[in-house]
Amino acid sequence: MRRTGIVVADASPIFRAGVRHLLARESDFEVFEAASYAELAAAVSAHEPDIALVDLELPTTGGVAAVSRLARHSTTSMILWSFEATTDTILAAITAGAKGYLPKEISPSGLIRSLRGVIRGEAPISRELATVMVDAVHGLEERDRVRERAVVLSAREREVLALVARGDRNRQIAQALSISEFTVKRHMQNILHKLNLPSRRAAGLFYRSAFESEQGAVSVMERTG
Amino acid sequence: MASEQTLPIVVVVSGFPLLSEAVEGALEGIAEVRSFPAGRGETADFLQLLQPDAVVVDSAEEAEAATDFARESRTMLVHVSLRDHRLRLMHNGRWQELPDGSASPERIRSAVAAGIYLRGVRV
Repeated sequence: MRRTGIVVADASPIFRAGVRHLLARESDFEVFEAASYAELAAAVSAHEPDIALVDLELPTTGGVAAVSRLARHSTTSMILWSFEATTDTILAAITAGAKGYLPKEISPSGLIRSLRGVIRGEAPISRELATVMVDAVHGLEERDRVRERAVVLSAREREVLALVARGDRNRQIAQALSISEFTVKRHMQNILHKLNLPSRRAAGLFYRSAFESEQGAVSVMERTG
Repeated sequence: MASEQTLPIVVVVSGFPLLSEAVEGALEGIAEVRSFPAGRGETADFLQLLQPDAVVVDSAEEAEAATDFARESRTMLVHVSLRDHRLRLMHNGRWQELPDGSASPERIRSAVAAGIYLRGVRV
């Protein structure tokens, strides 16, 4: 029987030993260890393991960068793991090529189940994280829709809108763009008309959701009614 | 017929089950490891009940909870800080900080074995 190769990439000898001891009781796993990115890269190259458990704080690159560098050039499924990670970090790791995320508090049975799941093509991701990811995908779709709407704006109108989103008053915008306050007002009226928005505040929200937030873009239509 | 030798008991109170796995592996043949989840507020009570020969914890809260038992029974208490790879040991009521990067299964084994030996239990 071919055993599933796992490389545990973690600076902590305790976590490496914990996984090694746990999986030694299972006949279908073979464990390799790496304490740094260099050792991980060497292990992936030498053993071509099926799975790499990569610590978020792996020296010297960090886990996300390690995943990013290795995921493209190997068939090893990279799983990020850590004490705690923000959803942004986890999403960054998944964008970089990680197949999932596991918390270090995971139970022995949970870890074994997750690793076997990876071999079957499953992504180890908690329910909470799955919800965050779905929201993020919807947010990206929403942002794209909002950006499409912004195509009708002229370059100058977009400049005005950017300053409105920043919270600038008409006088400040006029000074910043070297135009009159009257012209700023006219641009503002055109922006609201073209985007079918009810207020200056809605226009600011529109700009931020379209151009400032890379994830979780807000639904301007919902907010502005 | 040879009598079955009883191994010393080491209690691990941890929020990370993999720490228990690592300690179990390190103490194989030396001690019997019993693991309990951290954060339940029962540590002091079950240490009194179990009377282990050494205790391993992974948080300051559990170290605090185990302190009275360790002092009174002169038991080795090992506090593993997993996040910063550090160990501190309490024996005879005094904490001793080990240098950074000392948190390894081997160091835990040495500390626990020394504690058990000093307590007069044959390892």
